[in-house]
Amino acid sequence: MARAVDVPASSLRQRPWVRLAAPLLLAVVLAVLPLVLPESTNETLARIGVFAVAVLGLNVVMGYTGQVSLGQIFFLGLGAYITGYGVQQDWNIVLVFLLACLGAAAAGLLVALAAARLGGLAIAMVTIALPIVGVPLAKRLSDYTGGSQGLSARFADAPEATGLYDDQWQLYVVLVIGGTVFLLTRSLVRGKFGRAFAIVKGNEAVAASMGISPYRYKVLAFTIASLIGGVSGFLYMFVIQYTSPETMSFGHSIELLAAMVIGGAGSIVGSLLGGAYYVLVPELTNQVDSSLTALLQGVVLLAVLFVLPGGLASLFRRLGRSRRRLRAEPGPGASPTTPLSTAGSATATEEPGKERQGHA
Amino acid sequence: MGTFVQLVVDGLSAGSVYAAIALAIVLVHSATGLINFAQGGMAVLSVYIAWWLTTRGVPLIVALLVSIVFSIAFGALVERYLMRRFERGDPDTAVVVTIGLLTLITGVAGWLWTYNNQQFPSLFSLDTVSFLGVSVSQRSLGTTAVIIVVMVALQGLFIGTKLGLALRAVANNPESAAFSGLPVGRLLMVGWGLAAALGAVAGALVAPQLTLTPGMLDNALVYALAAVILGGLTSPVGVVVAAWLIGVLENLAAVYVPFIGYDLKVAVPFILIFLVLLVRPQGLFGRKTVVRV
Amino acid sequence: MTLLELEGLTASYGPVQVLEGVSLSVPDNGAVGILGANGAGKTTTLRAISGTVRTGGRIVFDGKDIRGLRPDQVAALGIAHVPEGRGTLGDLTVRDNLRVGAYLRRDRKGIAEDIDFCLELFPNLADRITSNASALSGGEQQMLAVARAIMSKPRLLLLDEASLGLAPSTAKNVYDAIRRLRLTLGIAMVVVEQNANLAFTLVDSATVLETGRSVLTGTSAELKGMDEIRRAYLGG
Repeated sequence: MARAVDVPASSLRQRPWVRLAAPLLLAVVLAVLPLVLPESTNETLARIGVFAVAVLGLNVVMGYTGQVSLGQIFFLGLGAYITGYGVQQDWNIVLVFLLACLGAAAAGLLVALAAARLGGLAIAMVTIALPIVGVPLAKRLSDYTGGSQGLSARFADAPEATGLYDDQWQLYVVLVIGGTVFLLTRSLVRGKFGRAFAIVKGNEAVAASMGISPYRYKVLAFTIASLIGGVSGFLYMFVIQYTSPETMSFGHSIELLAAMVIGGAGSIVGSLLGGAYYVLVPELTNQVDSSLTALLQGVVLLAVLFVLPGGLASLFRRLGRSRRRLRAEPGPGASPTTPLSTAGSATATEEPGKERQGHA
Repeated sequence: MGTFVQLVVDGLSAGSVYAAIALAIVLVHSATGLINFAQGGMAVLSVYIAWWLTTRGVPLIVALLVSIVFSIAFGALVERYLMRRFERGDPDTAVVVTIGLLTLITGVAGWLWTYNNQQFPSLFSLDTVSFLGVSVSQRSLGTTAVIIVVMVALQGLFIGTKLGLALRAVANNPESAAFSGLPVGRLLMVGWGLAAALGAVAGALVAPQLTLTPGMLDNALVYALAAVILGGLTSPVGVVVAAWLIGVLENLAAVYVPFIGYDLKVAVPFILIFLVLLVRPQGLFGRKTVVRV
Repeated sequence: MTLLELEGLTASYGPVQVLEGVSLSVPDNGAVGILGANGAGKTTTLRAISGTVRTGGRIVFDGKDIRGLRPDQVAALGIAHVPEGRGTLGDLTVRDNLRVGAYLRRDRKGIAEDIDFCLELFPNLADRITSNASALSGGEQQMLAVARAIMSKPRLLLLDEASLGLAPSTAKNVYDAIRRLRLTLGIAMVVVEQNANLAFTLVDSATVLETGRSVLTGTSAELKGMDEIRRAYLGG
């Protein structure tokens, strides 16, 4: 008697038409969304977009290359200030955008050239100075920055020709620019640079022995991160239309880092989640009890580091995996990764603190 | 000339505070292989405990002693229950955990005692004393002196006592130390406790001048890290010298270099680091370490 | 009197099973060798005894089951482990290394006397008493590591690859010193050694490990005579 042949349950994701249709569907949804949603939601989404880009930049140097950086917010602030100044001087907006990106990247390059040379945690220790020096510097250079009062620049009015409301226009611009940055970064980290970053993150000595200079790649990653930070600064000015020295404070620097870790280090989706966390959670906690905000943020960050090191993004990944496992596909168990360790490395399963025995 | 001497003395005082925090960072690093970005925050928490006691009528000295005991216990518990699983692992991850701890501590302090500036009573009077024919602040001299005494005492502990020997052994090779019967876990807790106590002393000394807020030592942490970069993680003496240098130079620059002024003096240590790096890429005192693959 | 008894010892590093049932017996004042090729599980066996690796099976020391104890607890019972690679505390002086060895003791005079005793036993250490341990040569570091171990007055010494990385003449010197030690102090020993020739100058009996299992056990005389041993470990 003939038996029905078992068709292996291939995951929905692997079917070719899904791979084409899904991004297309996403694009359509994103195109329609701003037209349908209320003004306040559009504004919130735009802000989430701004910080998602900032977190994405931080991820490039920290999540993917494993270098703790407390300076990302400085590049956001720098980009915002350059944008604000340029707009006030009535420069061409494309020029302003380029200046914001390149200015931030140049600053990042300088810092990285010095800090990466020191090795170890020097990048962390040096970047902590960026927000701490940045705030008084911004106050001091008041001719350019407006000092403590800050800088206002309105250039986000929707052009007549589009027939859009301001908030819709803003969201579209953020989606287009932010989306482009995301796509470019995604192909960067999935390509040969991304692989080099991962090797440097995992073990610098191994990288060097393979001809991958840790110094060069750390500088590269940091410069890219600061460039993306500059983009996020431009978007920041675009959406929020105001910046001040407070924008790049030490507190915000830590919040951005926390958002990255909680969203998911080394993950594109995690950067989006991080941006959402950065914008939404303080609003929430402030409603509950504003003096508790910092405390709750600390608790959440520590909880994530202990319980869910891969951040929220890894939570979705795990759910996805367990759904597939229920369909009788024996998948390998996920080893919990610490936010800055390479996923699935053998060391995750070894006894902590034991000498590696070359021979027993 | 008078101003110069005053600035140097004040600079040494500030530098001593940075030195204490930097030494605490070095101690924690030598014992557990990670950089504690919450070292300043932990100190601030202890100072808050002392301050709270003084508002309840407890004499300052007693409050300080209690806060130091608290800091030792707190440091030990943080090592045991928070940091232990991140030790000897990826140092960048451990740093993020300490940043989380810093956020939590700042949040707790802000929640319990608000973010407003609190006045912390001074151990030393604000009078000046005549030194080399110049009037210098008693508080600056006192702060420097106390911290020097504490550092010398710590050094004595490390070199001269059995506990110090055990701490050094554990810092050098914990597994091998265990083979000689050293209780490694407990010693790590002691190490963290001592480091926290160092920070608490420094914090209490500088609090009257800076006024007490949850973020009081954020700046000092930056200076301390700069001192660690300049002095090298393996050289306690180098770190102390670097910290004094930073304290004195930033004070001098604030007055004698108009562009820098008082508000930008925090940039001075990093200009220093930049210059040093141009000449000596591995830092002033650092050793080039070989890492086995 | 059996001082140490291992029965059916198993151990794994994560998913990799390294020991699959090792048995060993060390009499009071006896010296037993563990021989075998790279990766056979020799070092892991010692680490199992001193508590640095999680194991299954039985480890009985002086009548007490010591499986699952922490390394410092095992040391307190009188087992001193000289690890592979020596484990010298490089940043500490020679004298401080010896003082660390005596950490568990409280008799100051006795400790001072024993330090002198060690320096007599190992004269090169006396010359370098104030140097940092990392400045010593390989052979000197090995002797320092052994001296540090006996400072705790152990009843059992675990020696892991004492000849590793040493020139043949130096290795011989080290083993001569350890033999003198055994004669003077009468300590029991478990000696892991790839160089079987050297091991047989020290131990009364030995067991041979192969992929985590004891495949051969006997007195030194018996084993030296066996063809397999000769071919595999004694160079024909």
